[in-house]
Amino acid sequence: ATHLNETERTLRDFSEALNMWTKFQTKTHPLSLSLSSQLRLILTPSQSTKLSGSFRTGKRLNIKKIIPYIASSYKRDKIWMRRSIPSKRAYQILLCVDDSSSMGENSSSGRLALESLVMVARALTMLEVGQVGVLGFGTDVFVAHDLTAPLFASHDAGARALQHFTFRQEGTDMVRLLRSTIDQFRDARLLQAGSSSGEDLWQLALILSDGLVQSKDHARLRPLLREAMEQRVMVVFIVMDDAAQNKKGRSVLELNQATFDPDGVPVIHRYLDSFPFPYYLIVHHLEDLPGALAALLRTWFAEVNA
Amino acid sequence: MEPQGAQVKVTFTTTEADIQLPEAKRQLLVPADIRRYGLSRILNSESMLDTGAIPFDFLVNGSFLRTSLDEYLQSNGLSLESNVSLQYVRSLIPPVYEASF
Ligand SMILES: [Mg+2]
Repeated sequence: ATHLNETERTLRDFSEALNMWTKFQTKTHPLSLSLSSQLRLILTPSQSTKLSGSFRTGKRLNIKKIIPYIASSYKRDKIWMRRSIPSKRAYQILLCVDDSSSMGENSSSGRLALESLVMVARALTMLEVGQVGVLGFGTDVFVAHDLTAPLFASHDAGARALQHFTFRQEGTDMVRLLRSTIDQFRDARLLQAGSSSGEDLWQLALILSDGLVQSKDHARLRPLLREAMEQRVMVVFIVMDDAAQNKKGRSVLELNQATFDPDGVPVIHRYLDSFPFPYYLIVHHLEDLPGALAALLRTWFAEVNA
Repeated sequence: MEPQGAQVKVTFTTTEADIQLPEAKRQLLVPADIRRYGLSRILNSESMLDTGAIPFDFLVNGSFLRTSLDEYLQSNGLSLESNVSLQYVRSLIPPVYEASF
């Protein structure tokens, strides 16, 4: 899926992209450190949260084993559960950046998204938790950094990913992005299954976008989000809502949409009321992102482990 | 309620002090096929200016909007990703009934 329109889209000049990556990495370094230390606790738990197994001694009785225990004249005495050592986890993470022109032009969302991309990519590189890929989307979906490529240890690798983002695509096709993300994760899971064993694979997509999707697509996104959940792919939508730019009532939080009822009477709704993503955060300042993202992932892991 | 068609984001501005919108209401997603009459109805509605039936005209990039918004975008090489700035003024043209909006 790497070949989509590769020749049609013009790339940003490499030295310009290299300058951007270097500047953003320096600027966001403390935030990357903070995010990586918070994620380390969440993504690599040292202790299993669940009690399980059958042991002669342990923490809690396994009720299902009691009757066989008595029936066997107290011979089948492995009736205890323990906190077992957690299985090693592997992660595949796709960072999906909105390359549509609503992110550029008169908006600072694009810049905030790229700074966030550099910050998160660096944090994940420090963590070395698995594979990290970067996708771009607008009217189509493209790969800016392949999931199987090495992490962002050098500025060059980062700059090559940034080159792809120019915010000139004339549409924001979130349906296509989700379809492509689910498909890429399915392929990546098969590849992973062939190469390693015994690891618990977690797949996570982070979407960095201004959140402006055609409302008519909201309904089409819901079945795809269900499909992602069934495939055990977690999707987090991070809405870029720059406070510096949006203090004058331009925040997506306050954005309304107008429709006409069958009698031609205007009806006004809050845009985010029909927003279909169950896990989303709104970022006004880049400094908010590490804490907000960690909190959301912590909640999600608690839910899936419950 | 899910809108049927495409939407475009507009920002309303005006120079007339007595019909200013609160800042939080100045940006709005509207149907892309909307025309002057539909925009005028929206501005007059209870959730916006609550002015009842003042006929408004809209200036976009210095000239009056006389087509639908998507026709305007198309003829100016713009996409639905654009944020269109619409300056509204009290209409000087006598109100003409328009069957479609
Ligand atoms: Mg867009």
